[in-house]
Amino acid sequence: MTLATMKRGALLAAGIASLLASPALAEVTVLGWPGGPEEVALRAAADTYNAKSDVAEKDKVELLFFNRDGFWDKLQADLAAGSKAFDLNLLATYSIGRYAPFMEPVELSGEAKAVYGDSVLSTMQYEGKQYGVPTDLSLHFMYFRKDLIDTLMKDDAAKAKYAEISEKYLGKKLEPKAPDEWSWDDYAATALYFTQAVNPDSPTRYGTVLQLKNLLFNIMIWQSVPRAYGANWMDDSGKITVNSDAYRKGLEIYKLLYDNGATPRDSLSYEFAEANAAFASGQVAAMLQWNAAAGDLTSKEKSPAVAEVTDTVAPPAGPEGRFTHIHGLGFGLNKNAENKEGAAQFLKWLSSKEAALIYAKNNGAPALTPEVVAEVAEARPDLVKLGEFAGKYGYVMNGGTSAKALSVYELQAKEFTGYWSGQQSIDDALANTEKGMAELLK
Amino acid sequence: MMTGGGLSAAGHVDIRHGHATWAPGAANPAGLAMFKTCQMQIGSMTKAQQRPLVQEFRLLATPVVVFLLVFLGFPAIVNLIYSVSEVSFETLRQPELSGFKNFAAVWSDGAFWQASWFSFRFGLLTAVLECALGLFLAIFLSPLIERRSWLMAILMLPLMVAPALVGLMYRLVLHEFVGPVPYYLWTYFGASLSFLGPGSAFWTLVVVETLQWTPFALLLFYMAYQAIPSEIAEASAMDGARSHHRLWYIELPLMLPTIVVALLIRFIDGFRVFDNVYVLTGSGPGGSTASLSIYIYEAFFKQGAIGKAVAASVILFVVSFAVLYGLNFIASRRKGANR
Repeated sequence: MTLATMKRGALLAAGIASLLASPALAEVTVLGWPGGPEEVALRAAADTYNAKSDVAEKDKVELLFFNRDGFWDKLQADLAAGSKAFDLNLLATYSIGRYAPFMEPVELSGEAKAVYGDSVLSTMQYEGKQYGVPTDLSLHFMYFRKDLIDTLMKDDAAKAKYAEISEKYLGKKLEPKAPDEWSWDDYAATALYFTQAVNPDSPTRYGTVLQLKNLLFNIMIWQSVPRAYGANWMDDSGKITVNSDAYRKGLEIYKLLYDNGATPRDSLSYEFAEANAAFASGQVAAMLQWNAAAGDLTSKEKSPAVAEVTDTVAPPAGPEGRFTHIHGLGFGLNKNAENKEGAAQFLKWLSSKEAALIYAKNNGAPALTPEVVAEVAEARPDLVKLGEFAGKYGYVMNGGTSAKALSVYELQAKEFTGYWSGQQSIDDALANTEKGMAELLK
Repeated sequence: MMTGGGLSAAGHVDIRHGHATWAPGAANPAGLAMFKTCQMQIGSMTKAQQRPLVQEFRLLATPVVVFLLVFLGFPAIVNLIYSVSEVSFETLRQPELSGFKNFAAVWSDGAFWQASWFSFRFGLLTAVLECALGLFLAIFLSPLIERRSWLMAILMLPLMVAPALVGLMYRLVLHEFVGPVPYYLWTYFGASLSFLGPGSAFWTLVVVETLQWTPFALLLFYMAYQAIPSEIAEASAMDGARSHHRLWYIELPLMLPTIVVALLIRFIDGFRVFDNVYVLTGSGPGGSTASLSIYIYEAFFKQGAIGKAVAASVILFVVSFAVLYGLNFIASRRKGANR
């Protein structure tokens, strides 16, 4: 064997050894939300943390991602099976109660309250205990075409047509208003006005696009309508209160828009992506959508037809006020974690101002207090609105973090889409929901 | 060593599975004595050899049996226990027996019957459509495929796509603002059709499933069609049979076993459909496109009703077993009657 061959062999062996050894260095495994801005942000935060000189080799962070499809179900099965494959795992407001039995409460850094504020920290609390660090917040914006609304507001003939349509379909004459002053009736009237099936002169085919697929996330978007009329899942005594005028009003507004063609006929199979595609086509005047869509819908590359004329406000108001559903994504501690100490140390750092700013600068969507968000406002103007809307209009339904919260959303999705599609009456939909929720939340 | 049948001068000797039988031809005592001796030798040889054969069989079958016990037997037993228990994700290891409450809950659940009816209709309709189309194409395209066999590879392409991806693809294809189908319908006819609305979703799903799986039926039928001996066709032509007579009285009866098998396989596949339906419409508005598989999945994961979901799967298993056993029973009786 020549010296050169031996050298090549040694190099190869060293290469293989280093490849095999590198994963073993990372001792804190974090199961993240894959394939989106959350992954990019988490990677940046983990890289910063791992580069710190005071973080021991055994406490360095390794990230683990699998598919988004069925993520929560797989996580449920893993946690229930006592998996030790990850020390920290993703957590959502609506699933804390479901996963809490398999997790442990966590301790945040001293800065956490000043960075996030109480209402945002509460999205990661269950039965008074903090179960996670709220890294990303989701809420809803009303996306609208400002060019169309401006034209409507300036044109007297259009205003007269608007009044005529609102009287015919809503039973009252309404005048066009700026979207930031809309009530849900104004939204409905505007949606009908910009629908060609109702107003053949409309510049858009549809006034709005509703996400009516039988899917729990679509109910989260819709429920800000009944909430503005005073709806809640249950009262303080635990009595289920969905069979109410507020829920009825919210359901009827959507039904009115669907039946009159103000939203595509296939909206019953629409969710996030389909609604975005419809709005981006330039054939929709306004829609209620997750804040996560803002980047795409205002990007000239991704939505050339609407990017420059799209604006956002908080969802419309009702008699009881203006509301947006909020829920957080965050990270919590697996009860069966093998390196609890190292994991807790990373979580503490993740809730600090330094980590929050890194996360925000790298595509994450943390809801930060006005003082903290000011430091990234230039790079991330959307986070200013996110923090503002969360603080002013954010709500979580009573029972919205319970162990059966996801099942409640599933139930509502099934029953309410049954009503919107004409398969059952509103009375049956509400009665079935009330009965099912009483069983789930007893 | 004789391992099959054979003829002797003294008569017909048939040996099957180590047993020898004597069918006397002409009377021949010497031959009979010789045969008896042979019979004794063969008998003693096979018995001696049978033991190791049985041992070898047991040894070789052990891995399969262990595999089946671990991967099918264990989950089946756990399923049976969960189906009569009060169980949640927190109590997976300590289920509490609760009698037949889960079965009663499933039986009285309207959604279960709705899902069963969906699965049955979907399975039956898609099986019939796929087999009818596959049969037509197999016979119609047969001369073409014989000359250009690469056509078969192209026709098989839909089978290469995962059903979930097919669902995803049609979500885009049928989307009013993204898909080509609605685009051309709007451009040329000013029509905005609802493909996935409450009235049309079922038929759209049937078409999507049929388009993907017809090639499977085509493949089976083409192979069966090719296996028909050309002599039969030539003989029938000599007898003056026309092509439609040949098809109806000769080719289709010869292909019948393949047609029945294809129908059965496609019905089972359609009945248990999950991926493409779930991706395309979820369980549909009001659960209108929930198949039985989707019902079980949603009960298990979405509602956390583990006992109910497992009870539904046990009912499905029992019904499937009964149907398959019944079909097998009918088939063996027919086989017996034909002998």
